[in-house]
Amino acid sequence: MSIRLETIRECFEGIIPGHIATSDTEGIPNLAYLSQVQFVDNTHVALSYQFFNRTRQNILADSPVRLLLTSHLTAAQYRLTLKYLRTETAGPLFEQMRAKLAGIASHTGMAGVFQLLGSDIYRILAIEQVAGPTIAPPPPPLNYLTALRRATNRLAGCTNLECLLETAIDCLVDEFGIEQLMLLMHDEGRGRLYTLASHGYPVSGIGSEIPVGAGVIGICARERCPIRIGFMTSEYAYGRSVRASIAADGHGDALESAIPLPGLPEAASQMAVPITAAGRLLGVLYVESLADLHFGYDEEDALVAFAALLGLAMLHHQQADDFADEPAASEEDSPPTGGPPLAVRHFAANDSIFLDDDYLIKGVAGAILWVLLTDFAERRRTSFTNKGLRVDPRIRLPGVSDNLEARLVLLQRRLEERDTGIRLSKTGRGRFTLAVNRPLTLLES
Amino acid sequence: MLDSDNAAFIQTGVSISLAASGGDRLPSMSRGLGCKLVDGGRQVAVFIKPSQSEELLDNIRRSSRVANVFSLPSSNRTLQLKGLDARIQPFEVADLPIIKAHIADFVAEVLPLGLPEEVVRTLFAYTVDDLVMVVYTPVAAFSQTPGPKAGEALDAKP
Repeated sequence: MSIRLETIRECFEGIIPGHIATSDTEGIPNLAYLSQVQFVDNTHVALSYQFFNRTRQNILADSPVRLLLTSHLTAAQYRLTLKYLRTETAGPLFEQMRAKLAGIASHTGMAGVFQLLGSDIYRILAIEQVAGPTIAPPPPPLNYLTALRRATNRLAGCTNLECLLETAIDCLVDEFGIEQLMLLMHDEGRGRLYTLASHGYPVSGIGSEIPVGAGVIGICARERCPIRIGFMTSEYAYGRSVRASIAADGHGDALESAIPLPGLPEAASQMAVPITAAGRLLGVLYVESLADLHFGYDEEDALVAFAALLGLAMLHHQQADDFADEPAASEEDSPPTGGPPLAVRHFAANDSIFLDDDYLIKGVAGAILWVLLTDFAERRRTSFTNKGLRVDPRIRLPGVSDNLEARLVLLQRRLEERDTGIRLSKTGRGRFTLAVNRPLTLLES
Repeated sequence: MLDSDNAAFIQTGVSISLAASGGDRLPSMSRGLGCKLVDGGRQVAVFIKPSQSEELLDNIRRSSRVANVFSLPSSNRTLQLKGLDARIQPFEVADLPIIKAHIADFVAEVLPLGLPEEVVRTLFAYTVDDLVMVVYTPVAAFSQTPGPKAGEALDAKP
């Protein structure tokens, strides 16, 4: 029976380095060690091009290529016959390999030495298992297909975005056994990702932001491909990446990092998976661990499939909320407010909102809150709809592609965390109410 | 070709790989289970399992040209030797202690890196009737330790 490449991917992680053999035009063989092999699909792999060495010269001189790969789980060895096709120096595959190599370099004391110059793509012509004894692999930590099946069922039971987000986090924890994770949404207009949910950190970091292109999360968003690193590397540490990216961007302001990103400062394994639907990037799912090589190809496959499902469900709920019918206009009697007044200050330049001098939120979510509170103060209005917000000229939503419902969840969660007497609650599809239990003083700056 | 430092290096707990190419330039390679120096240090003899190396051994019989890499996992120090006169010789039981010592050295080298001992010992499992020796004279040596000097030819030193 022929061996399918997807079934031997543990050999690619570099735990036991692979060997590559080539020949020069005279047939003189050459051998070298590989720091990584990247699975592309069942008939293609990519190898890292880091130095212009003899292997590289031979490949460019059309040498046939043989790899010897070894499983660190079973001790099985495989000989692969390859044909070089082309080299990529940018794009998703290149970024996936560059990130992984940074981890490997740092782990093997080769930081600054290993640098990806290109991703060499090869077609697999043959895979042969080398004769010899093997041992049974240890049982996998969990069955990802079962996890995916159960998660699919649970997500299918959700009737709105808020439930979907909560269930998604629960599924990742319960079904996939992930202990630290963040879910970030894409702000297309600003080229940022904002944290909408997290699990496993001392502080939630809801509302914290990361620029597209910064660190593992930002590169995943920019390239719309999973980025996975198996060892700790300062090159991709998000604190540093975010600061550098904001500084380089020139658009950063002090509020950019007002809410710190959650995250493990010493994360060894990191994986970010894009959440896309209908050709759009909706967000990024990020998981991490203190353990080396905690996430492999199987975990990546499982989370990519989960994120695809989540993306479709998000898109569905967003559209359903946006097009839900406007309720009969009725201004309800809000309960009397008491206690000391809460000063709400709005800065129109960036739509930032401060509650009693403490930063709450900015951007679209800030603009929404200001409109809600203004209507409340002027007309005691407490019932709102997504549809109404979308056409409200005071908010200036970036467009129909904006995930308004996600902004509302963000706002709702930030208000809950701050516990200042302002609450938002869903009352139905595309509808929500505002509850204010303190007198407000609205200040426009 | 091989100075005393490199001669000692290839006989430590290094990972060993031996390759030879076929008439169509397609190379094949196998892991070595240890090595020794012969002919007063002028030649290298690598122990290979024929059951894993049919194509490699055919290529050696055809061309006599080999590439041989030695790499120490803990330091990444890597050396490649090339030979043009490789030949296959029967294994001598007297060399068994070399293989045993090599496997023990390699296990000691990779266990701290997190590899399970059972995996390493399975990888190097052998039977005495499934061993041969490939002997060649190194005519070129290259440092392949990753870095700016990778691939540089090493000057011949006595």
